[in-house]
Amino acid sequence: MKLKTFVAALAATTLAVAGCSVDQPGQEANKPTIRVGYQSFPSGDLIVKNNKWLEDALPDYNIKWTKFDSGADVNTAFIAKELDFGALGSSPVARGLSAPLNIPYKVAFVLDVAGDNEALVARRGTEINAIPDLRGKRIATPFASTAHYSLLAALSQNGLSANDVQLVDLQPQAILAAWERGDIDAAYTWLPTLDQLRKSGADLITSRQLAKDGKPTLDLAAVSDDFASAHPEVVDIWRRQEARALDVIKNDPTAAAKSIAAEIGLSPDDVAGQLKQGVYLTAAEVASPEWLGTDGKPGNIAANLASASQFLADQKQIPSAAPLTTFQQAIYTKGLPGVLSQ
Amino acid sequence: MFVDITPDESQVGSPTAAAAGGKWRGRLIRAALPMLSVVVFFVVWQIAATTGIWNQTFVPYPSTVWQAFIDVSTTHDGVRGYAGYLLWEHLYMTLRRVLAGVVIGVVAGVLLGLLMGSIGWVRRLLEPWLTFLRALPPLAYFFLLVIWLGIDEAPKITLLALAALPPAAVATTAAVVAAPVGLQEAARALGASRREVIRDVVVPSALPETFTGVRLAVGMAYSSVVAAELFNGIPGIGGLVKDASNYNNTPVVLVGIFAIGISGLIIDGLLRAIERRAVPWRGNI
Repeated sequence: MKLKTFVAALAATTLAVAGCSVDQPGQEANKPTIRVGYQSFPSGDLIVKNNKWLEDALPDYNIKWTKFDSGADVNTAFIAKELDFGALGSSPVARGLSAPLNIPYKVAFVLDVAGDNEALVARRGTEINAIPDLRGKRIATPFASTAHYSLLAALSQNGLSANDVQLVDLQPQAILAAWERGDIDAAYTWLPTLDQLRKSGADLITSRQLAKDGKPTLDLAAVSDDFASAHPEVVDIWRRQEARALDVIKNDPTAAAKSIAAEIGLSPDDVAGQLKQGVYLTAAEVASPEWLGTDGKPGNIAANLASASQFLADQKQIPSAAPLTTFQQAIYTKGLPGVLSQ
Repeated sequence: MFVDITPDESQVGSPTAAAAGGKWRGRLIRAALPMLSVVVFFVVWQIAATTGIWNQTFVPYPSTVWQAFIDVSTTHDGVRGYAGYLLWEHLYMTLRRVLAGVVIGVVAGVLLGLLMGSIGWVRRLLEPWLTFLRALPPLAYFFLLVIWLGIDEAPKITLLALAALPPAAVATTAAVVAAPVGLQEAARALGASRREVIRDVVVPSALPETFTGVRLAVGMAYSSVVAAELFNGIPGIGGLVKDASNYNNTPVVLVGIFAIGISGLIIDGLLRAIERRAVPWRGNI
């Protein structure tokens, strides 16, 4: 008898819990859903999300925003056909477009270019004043990230390889802990951890300098091929919202910082400081030959991605680098530049 | 976790009815069944990969994984294994950490269990803490260990020890509490001191269950290796799995998973063998 009561109670609880989940409001069953993957680095994506521009511009669709912690996870979601749009770094995009992944997606927007918000810093008191001094030292960076790519690029500029230093794979928060304890001599990481490291260290090189030297790292937005061919008009609307967000970052940084701060839980002042250190293009720059290019004429981003692919091949993370044409075909230039300003 | 899902082989079948031929057939079937399941697994895998329903990233060919295994285990084109270390070196580093963590965790856990089992107020004092620790997923507190202990071996071994301690302590406590009162009282009546009762009656009767606790502890520690090697985990098999998954490198991830699983099976087999030697009276009290 007691057992029966228990089993009944268990069944009732299970049903009750299964019935109510904590879900986002505004999902209506009769409308098609657009699935957008975003990450928490400061970018126009967060402004679009916070101000519900996409929801307002596309009233006939449900918009489902999903947060991801790394580009590898975004790639996995694209492979599983669980995403229509996704934000990820240039390094994961290069990996996704190369064999064996060959993810069917296209680069449709440049969210930001790494500037002073990603940098290689050395701890004070280690007598490291320039990159060549790093030989034999312990340097931390999150592996498989854009910072990892930039670090190796900076080392090779100075005639050093990964084997000449001790590389340590740490996430930013762990870098801070190891730094405070004196376990590492230098680190290549990003904001906000970076600013805390700078209090007791000095920049050796920043991603802004590396971009000038032809090794830029970027945060990109990709759209799946299936979605882009089925709903080109939605992609156009989405690109206009992203362009509008870039305008806000440029012309009203306070409002931009406020929106982004609300999404990532930092103070607007902190975010404003971060926005100043990153490089945010204008819509006109995005559609220039240096970046995405124009309709039918893919820009220089393809070359950046090809170089990132070569880097991955050198790291033995992919069997071989994909050719430049692969990346040129994977830039979504339809209607550029006019489509951004309609 | 490695739990006893099959009864001990010595207890399977009825030995009285077994003629010599039947015995051999029984053994053959027992050996063939696991082999058969492995063969079926690989055939299903190959078919699943060939149909191409799933992307190669989700279901790579068995041959791709085999190639990855070869690549990770050898030096090829001037590249040494994965991230500069061969597979056995990754595995060796992990096993060393697990061994150190398990020895610390199990010794502390068994001592704690003996104390908690034999002294009532110690049990009431420590049990909530032990349950608290047991409920925590290692990932939740690993970051704190990094802050306190740095990024080298100390936080990893501490994490594994903390994972191994509760199962050993809980099993030992339960076993000591359950030591037959009749035997204890008989020993007392024959003039044994409290210490002698614990040494000669309580510990021997608690040992079989303690061994189960030790096996569970090893399983818990082993299932925490990826968490323990999340930061600066290379060389290490958990670090290899984590790094390869950051690059969506499924074949290497699978090689790492097989390496962890197969070495786990071997370790559990060794522990069972030790258990049979050390506590032959298991199941007979």
